[in-house]
Amino acid sequence: MNRRDVMKRLMRPLLLAGLLAFCGLTPVSAGIDWNNVFNTLKTVKQAVKPADLHEEEQIGYATAATLLGAAKPIDNADVQRYVNRVGLWVALQSERPDLPWHFAVVASDDIDAFAAPGGYVFITRGLLLHMRSEAELAGVLGHEITHVVMKDHLKALQRAAKQQLLGQALNYELQQHGKNTEVFNKIANATRTLYSRGLDKADEFQADRMGVVLATRAGYDPYGLMAVLQTLESIDPKSGRMQLLLATHPTPAARIVLLAAAMQAGHMDQYGNQVEGRERFLQVVKKLVPASGTQPAH
Amino acid sequence: MKRWGSILLVLLVTLGVHAASQSGAQTIMDTQLNAAPYSDASNIVPVPASTNVTILSRQGGWYHVRLDSGQDGWLRMTSLRMNSSSSGSSWGMGWLSQLFGSGRSGATGTTATTGVRGLNTGDIAKARPDPQAVDSLNAWIATPGQARQFAQELHLKAQQIPYLPDIKVQQP
Repeated sequence: MNRRDVMKRLMRPLLLAGLLAFCGLTPVSAGIDWNNVFNTLKTVKQAVKPADLHEEEQIGYATAATLLGAAKPIDNADVQRYVNRVGLWVALQSERPDLPWHFAVVASDDIDAFAAPGGYVFITRGLLLHMRSEAELAGVLGHEITHVVMKDHLKALQRAAKQQLLGQALNYELQQHGKNTEVFNKIANATRTLYSRGLDKADEFQADRMGVVLATRAGYDPYGLMAVLQTLESIDPKSGRMQLLLATHPTPAARIVLLAAAMQAGHMDQYGNQVEGRERFLQVVKKLVPASGTQPAH
Repeated sequence: MKRWGSILLVLLVTLGVHAASQSGAQTIMDTQLNAAPYSDASNIVPVPASTNVTILSRQGGWYHVRLDSGQDGWLRMTSLRMNSSSSGSSWGMGWLSQLFGSGRSGATGTTATTGVRGLNTGDIAKARPDPQAVDSLNAWIATPGQARQFAQELHLKAQQIPYLPDIKVQQP
């Protein structure tokens, strides 16, 4: 995009805002066409929409860079491609199928998963190795995809970054300075704070409920996420493997109780015979173990 | 290298067998052992709360379990809690993680160097952004066409399902 286009894009909403202000000052007797005002507002909304997506992608990039600064992607193309295929197939069932979705397994043996605005989803090797099937993976990815769809992190990061920028237009700053600027650093700062404190508990419970539905829409056994939550419940918190997850999420026990009630009310039992995908999952994930070709005891 | 491979193989199998023997759980409510994984299946025997069972497998919202008496049948998933351990419930694949929790180093095909790599709140709080790592993700992304073909291979069929209601219940 050249500079003139950027100017045009920035000017358009301003001109429309001016027009609206002018309408507002017109004496009542002149007769305001509310329909027209409404249509104009709609136009303004549409005009800023691409810019909104651009802002989300920029924020997501800085957020993802910060998270990957703490744990690098593992260097195993088979596993990474596999997680991207499962993830995209689940994301295609969401309300935002067209985002540039990126999934990755990161090199940590602790147990956690993360979402960043714009379509980034990361899962630790430790969590992947605690799973038994593709349905379990789909459930966890569905939970993270929901955070992106609902813009949970985006809204929190925008609030934090805008406070720091003291009213400067965040999107304008992002367009002007690109990746390596003060703004990038401010988003990185906001990321460090948000991802070590976590979202509201209500956002997490909602992501459980919606994540289950996304995985089920994709054809998977609905109880994958529930099985993972039961695994998490069984891990001794003193082991330290879930320190970050427990600091940023409600307890597994609370999540299980609320999710079970919602799944029962939604009659998810009827999908209980859907695909679990143990074999394909095992074929790929065993590549993370050096003595490949070994069968599990179960 | 070959020798290390066989040592690891032995370790892997040993851990696997060890883990399988520990795939225990406990009922958290009075329930019934069902003959099949359906709520209208016939009851075999009542199972009181705090009964120890061994998990054999899972189908949908049900676990196939064996009681100490040797009887097997199906229990609702949410009527059980897995026995806790440092690396968690170990039925099925979970035992794989024990290998990584044992301080073994290298050769995982990862960029990680040695031993167990943690990721705690401190690591997040002092993370230095790595834009190159984000750019590297593009090598692995899937196209929608690839994702659809991949779904077809496992006979995964997309369908419309409404989101679940938010049911208020007493939290533990």
